[in-house]
Amino acid sequence: MSKRCVQVLNEALHEVFAERDDVYLLGEDILDPYGGAFKVSQGLSDAYPDRVLTTPISEASLFGVAAGMALRGQRPILEIMFGDFIALGLDQIVNGIAKFREMYDDQVTVPLVVRTPMGGRRGYGPTHSQSLEKLLLGVPNIVVVAASECHDLRDLVVTAVEDERPVFLIENKLMYGRPNRRPEDGHIGELSVRESSAPYPALTFSGTDFSEGTATIVTYGGMVPVVLDAVTELILEHEIFCEVVALSQLLPIELDPVLESVARTGALVTAEEGTLTGGFGAEIAARVQEACWSDLRGPVQRVAARDGIIPSARPLEDAMLPSAHDVVEAIVALEAVRS
Amino acid sequence: MFEIVLTREDANTEFALLAEWLVEDRAEVQQGQPVCVVETTKATVEIEAPGAGTIVQLYDEGVEVELGKTVARIAESADELASLEQDAEREQPTPKPSPTDRKATRKAAELAERHGVDLASIEKRGFVTEKDVEELIARQKAAASPGRGSALAGLSTSNVTLPSSFNLDESTGALDPSFFERLRSDSESFRLLPPDEKVAILRQYGAQIGEGVVLGEGSLVAAPQIVIEDGVEIGPRATIRCEEVVAIGESSQFGADLELLCRRAFLGAGIWAGRSIRFGGGGHRDPWAVLTVGDLAFVGDEAFVNVCRPVLIGREVFLTMRSLIVTHNVGHSLLEGFENRFAPVVLEDRAQVGLGAVIYAGCRIGAEAIVASNSYVTGDIPAGAFAIGVPAKVTGSSSHKVSRSRQIELGRRMIDDLHELLALRGHEVSAIRDDDAYGFEVGGVPVLFVPSFGEGRPGAVMLTLEVGGEPAEGVVVLDLVERKLHGSGGGDVLESVREFCRKRGIRFGPGPWRYRGGLV
Repeated sequence: MSKRCVQVLNEALHEVFAERDDVYLLGEDILDPYGGAFKVSQGLSDAYPDRVLTTPISEASLFGVAAGMALRGQRPILEIMFGDFIALGLDQIVNGIAKFREMYDDQVTVPLVVRTPMGGRRGYGPTHSQSLEKLLLGVPNIVVVAASECHDLRDLVVTAVEDERPVFLIENKLMYGRPNRRPEDGHIGELSVRESSAPYPALTFSGTDFSEGTATIVTYGGMVPVVLDAVTELILEHEIFCEVVALSQLLPIELDPVLESVARTGALVTAEEGTLTGGFGAEIAARVQEACWSDLRGPVQRVAARDGIIPSARPLEDAMLPSAHDVVEAIVALEAVRS
Repeated sequence: MFEIVLTREDANTEFALLAEWLVEDRAEVQQGQPVCVVETTKATVEIEAPGAGTIVQLYDEGVEVELGKTVARIAESADELASLEQDAEREQPTPKPSPTDRKATRKAAELAERHGVDLASIEKRGFVTEKDVEELIARQKAAASPGRGSALAGLSTSNVTLPSSFNLDESTGALDPSFFERLRSDSESFRLLPPDEKVAILRQYGAQIGEGVVLGEGSLVAAPQIVIEDGVEIGPRATIRCEEVVAIGESSQFGADLELLCRRAFLGAGIWAGRSIRFGGGGHRDPWAVLTVGDLAFVGDEAFVNVCRPVLIGREVFLTMRSLIVTHNVGHSLLEGFENRFAPVVLEDRAQVGLGAVIYAGCRIGAEAIVASNSYVTGDIPAGAFAIGVPAKVTGSSSHKVSRSRQIELGRRMIDDLHELLALRGHEVSAIRDDDAYGFEVGGVPVLFVPSFGEGRPGAVMLTLEVGGEPAEGVVVLDLVERKLHGSGGGDVLESVREFCRKRGIRFGPGPWRYRGGLV
């Protein structure tokens, strides 16, 4: 059995702490024995008491402190307990962290990493369940990376810490408890998988060993297992084969794996857990139609959360968030256009 | 006895991790002693023993346990321990159901069951599809009769409805070998015989030839095994020469100057083929030279199909005028890096190949796909796609979904158009009326459109989108969606309506291409 994602992330943090003595972890409730709300930082404060700094509930200041540390050549890692509170740091991010390097003519870099869990399906309610990474997608000069249970989480952490740019590593609450399912012999389960060679790789899945496909579904993060369930259902129940492109690098936008897949399938569906309007899917749709209009045989379909706030009651939350069923319906809608 | 149950520390999750046992299995524990650590998303909780005794653990460390399950029991006495030992086989956590536990698709499982095929005998990484099962069935058939099916081994017949003659018994319609030798060595004198006499002689020597078969002036059919069903018409100056077998289904018709040369030809029923059509060319005697043409296919004038590798043409395929299929190329040495290709071609059911288009060796045109005129196809075209260009590229879909309301609109418009056509042809037609049905009368016969057919007018020709009841005597109903005729009657008016519908791609079998005595 593969290790659970939380354990892989935890081991990766231990590894970077052992490798570099300029790495710091800042965040709320991250000290042992509690080890963080999701246990990702467990054992770090016992092993490196001087480099794990527990903070008050003060996200805005926290971003500022981390930015200062990074400017001074350290490698701070921020743990924002819930991704929703990234909103508190937006001024520091947009007007500081993203701009320092260019404003100071490359004399400084801001090599900080912000780790934070996004996503719902836990009943945590309106302010602890959102997927707000789309707020970061228009910000120049930062890197937004979404981890999924199929990516090499150890590599994502190590690459992010080594990166000279500010990196936002978006984790997912449900992912933590799941096994980190890596490709074995080019497969995850019955699906063939190709991994791009980019620093933050994209995974492309196919049920036909890339010989044919009805559509490409591009997704990331917590939606990856949802989309894989949908794709499996489409294969088993309908013999409809879709490719899935699971991106890890959301910004700067990495379109090549998507375009390669669309060239094979001729159709695109985007799937994200955040709200529909002005989201990741909208940006991808715009870029794909611009790049390969003639490869598309139908309109791009978007699967996303309804434009609303997330209720606490689980049945209402489920109705709000995109499901495997929604993905299946999007593909069936595309098929209807075809036939 | 006490039980240690995993309670919902966090009501938002269904599972919790049994992170650690703090005591050994079968250890003595005291009431209130921490015995294990359970981890949920926001909390790590130590669980205390509810009473003193010997602990019997039911789960291993590191497993996710469904909330509400018992993870251990504590025996208070030796007797209790003994009874617990008996059922101490460790309970495994309930596995979460995963769709990937299944490897075979629903279609594959159903097909395998119908054919009694063991899915486990398909060794494959990845999903097992209907195509895999079909291929296994084909391989098993081929292994059973190595002579016949082997040429198709490995070629999927998915979405290709083969003519019913494809699995013909080898003795059906087999010619007396000595007669076949004579036919082969001196075919010219046979050609010159009157049509009826040719049919009679072929029958006499073993060929199976149905009623009403016409073998035109100067035409020749020569094969060791010949099966021609009722009503087949082969025009003048045809040359049909197959090394093993030729079979043609009922009511198929072929225009003048047909040339059909290959090893095995299985042509379906209700095919319409124009003049100067050639099947054959280089390599037509090769062991793999197998041609199948599905029922109701259309082959346009001067089409050329090279058959040195299997060519499978599905049901209701349109292979229009001057289109060309090749199964091999010619050229310079493969050792010098020039392409050397011998490969089958498949046109799946209802595919359409436009005027003058070329389909290169190895291509598969998906079901209902359209290849535009003068395109050059060098790769597979997916089902339902519209492909155009040199080389052909998919630019869109071959069709779009038509809503019911739009179908009704189109049905009414067909009545308008037919009304106008008949009037322009000089027939007496009544004005169009629009009450419980939409239509008019021509020569005393009502021609009516209703979205859903329940019961008709006596003597009427009814067009409809769905048939809900049996038509009464003398009423004929055309189901435009299913393309099926119900009831009888209609005479010339029915023939006219059928011809009119044919031009809109709505063809009714049997003999969808033939209309006699119509008004249009």
